[in-house]
Amino acid sequence: MEGKYVSDPEWASIQPIPLNDGSETGAMPMATIAYSDDYIEATSYLRAVMAANEISERALKLTEDIIFMNPAHYTVWIYRAKIVFALNKDLLEELEWLNGVSLKYLKNYQIWHHRQVLMSSQDHFPTLPPKEMDFLMEMFAQDSKNYHVWTYRHWLVRHFKLWDSPREIADINSLLNSDVRNNSAWNHRYMLRFGPRSDEPDGGMTNSNGPPSEKGRLAVVDEDVVDEELQYAQVQIVKAPENRSPWSYARGVLRAGGRPLSEWTGFAQKFVLDKREQGQLVDVEVKSSHAVEWLADVYAQDGAAQESTAAEAVRMLNLLKEKYDPIRRNYWDYRIQMILGQEVLASA
Amino acid sequence: MSLASGPGRAAGLLSDQELCPEKHIEYIKKLDSRKDELEYWLTEHLRLNGLYWGLTALNLLGCPDGLPREDAINFVLSCQQNNGGFGAAPDHDAHILYTVSAVQTLVTLDAVDELDNRGLGGKQKIGSFIAGLQDQETGSFMGDEWGELDTRFLYGALNALSLLGLLDMVDVAKAVSYLQKCENLDGGYGISPGAESHAGQVFTCVGALAIAGRLDLVDKDRLGRWLSERQLDNGGLNGRPEKLEDACYSWWVGASLAMIGKLHWIDGAKLAAFIIRCQDPDTGGFADRPDHTVDVFHTLFAVAGLSLLGFEGIAEVDPVYCMPKSITRKIFSA
Repeated sequence: MEGKYVSDPEWASIQPIPLNDGSETGAMPMATIAYSDDYIEATSYLRAVMAANEISERALKLTEDIIFMNPAHYTVWIYRAKIVFALNKDLLEELEWLNGVSLKYLKNYQIWHHRQVLMSSQDHFPTLPPKEMDFLMEMFAQDSKNYHVWTYRHWLVRHFKLWDSPREIADINSLLNSDVRNNSAWNHRYMLRFGPRSDEPDGGMTNSNGPPSEKGRLAVVDEDVVDEELQYAQVQIVKAPENRSPWSYARGVLRAGGRPLSEWTGFAQKFVLDKREQGQLVDVEVKSSHAVEWLADVYAQDGAAQESTAAEAVRMLNLLKEKYDPIRRNYWDYRIQMILGQEVLASA
Repeated sequence: MSLASGPGRAAGLLSDQELCPEKHIEYIKKLDSRKDELEYWLTEHLRLNGLYWGLTALNLLGCPDGLPREDAINFVLSCQQNNGGFGAAPDHDAHILYTVSAVQTLVTLDAVDELDNRGLGGKQKIGSFIAGLQDQETGSFMGDEWGELDTRFLYGALNALSLLGLLDMVDVAKAVSYLQKCENLDGGYGISPGAESHAGQVFTCVGALAIAGRLDLVDKDRLGRWLSERQLDNGGLNGRPEKLEDACYSWWVGASLAMIGKLHWIDGAKLAAFIIRCQDPDTGGFADRPDHTVDVFHTLFAVAGLSLLGFEGIAEVDPVYCMPKSITRKIFSA
């Protein structure tokens, strides 16, 4: 073997432990893997230093080498974190280094857990370090829906209690301005505005263990925030009526505020225009299938009491079933049957 | 197999699409000679998963003896560590994701007894490893000693423990309570409380609730609505709103729908046609979408997706475990 470690005097004291991949015992039905020589050598030294539980600068450098070759190597990350804390390294420098790895490997779980492990250290980070959010925005510039980054950011918000930080809502506004269809950003916005706060259990919505009708409903409602957010959603819907996210967001906002869907009946009707000639309905102009769905839900709720409203609900659902969303015809049929079944019950 | 539509079966299946099962069987059996793909999909860190993916796909394709049984058992056992858990490959630290693949593989091969005969302790030892990963405070599960929390780990834990008949080694009620916190207003579930709904995480949460016997906690109409919204005009399914379709979501979305009895809410014929377009009829195997390079991960979840749809010639899959139904039926009736 003629690798860089075997020829490095710094590593002369270490006896590398070779890979046991099961191939020698015939225990590998799916064959051995063509690893690169560099990787095979580096991991053989890793096994040796880990077995000796060595905490040193050279071991730290070795973990870096291996992480750059294979960031999915979960064990090496645990070892690295242990060394970083034991040697009392500058964690800001460690974060800086991690930024580079993150930008190189966009879809990796371990990188983000490592960051969370570092950031959890109250001694080093009693408050949010100033460049952290800048870096996350740099990540979003690569992939604005990166699930790992969003999950980490949500953790940051809870850890440092950032729900009302001006930076949070500014970043969300900026991301939604550049892509109003970014559902991840809408989800984060919801958590900032209506998610459980620090004195509440860590749930995705308030009352998450409650009955379905109460899930997401706030005990104390700031009506101004509800109004503001409904207004914001309407502005975004007008820009792109077929974008599902703000419609879903508005449902969540109304739920949080304990208000009915029917508050938006007038707004939704602007996207579903009946064309009449001499009083007869001849056509419907639909500018958003989500508005049709919204109206169907409103009419279905009210329709239990009134037959003509139920008929309107069925008309909306048929529009979806036949013209605007036929791929889900069985779902729309189910909804129609629910309403017709209710009528049968009501008249029985 | 029945092509009738109804709860649990997708509507209107066409049978005129050409599936190439023999090609797929050959593809999996010959994975060892495809170093270029192996490097990506069966790298050291996925190897035990890879064995489970390949073996399960072969079972569903009607070729349960496609891999040499003894070699497969030997390999699984060689990945076990002293703490009872399994690593991705020999000499690798134990992690829940590989431990569940090990258990599923041994169960599929009807070789759980080998743990007592030849392993580093019987199945109790695996149970202890998994039980030690439960976070006592929240009921969630870590993947390993590092402490990362993810609903994938929780699902894996309940999956493996239930297959071993050891579910009572953990606090199931607490795990269920944690899963409830991962539910979002749209009816979906995320990787942790407050995280965006994601079809892969929906599968793990609903699967875990199914194992815990608590599907009554799922808002089936709302979740079914969100899941069925994942189908795009081309028939394929995505994992989140405004994302691209991917053959593996045929499984994550499809199995979740099947578990809550709403699989017929999507267009099964269009989905089946999409999945078939993802196969490579020359080399065998399936890719994430048409004309992309195939791999064993997408091959399993494409085949399993077809199985959910009742596609002719493919064995029935268990939507909770992603294992042949004939095997889970035997385990749980014993």
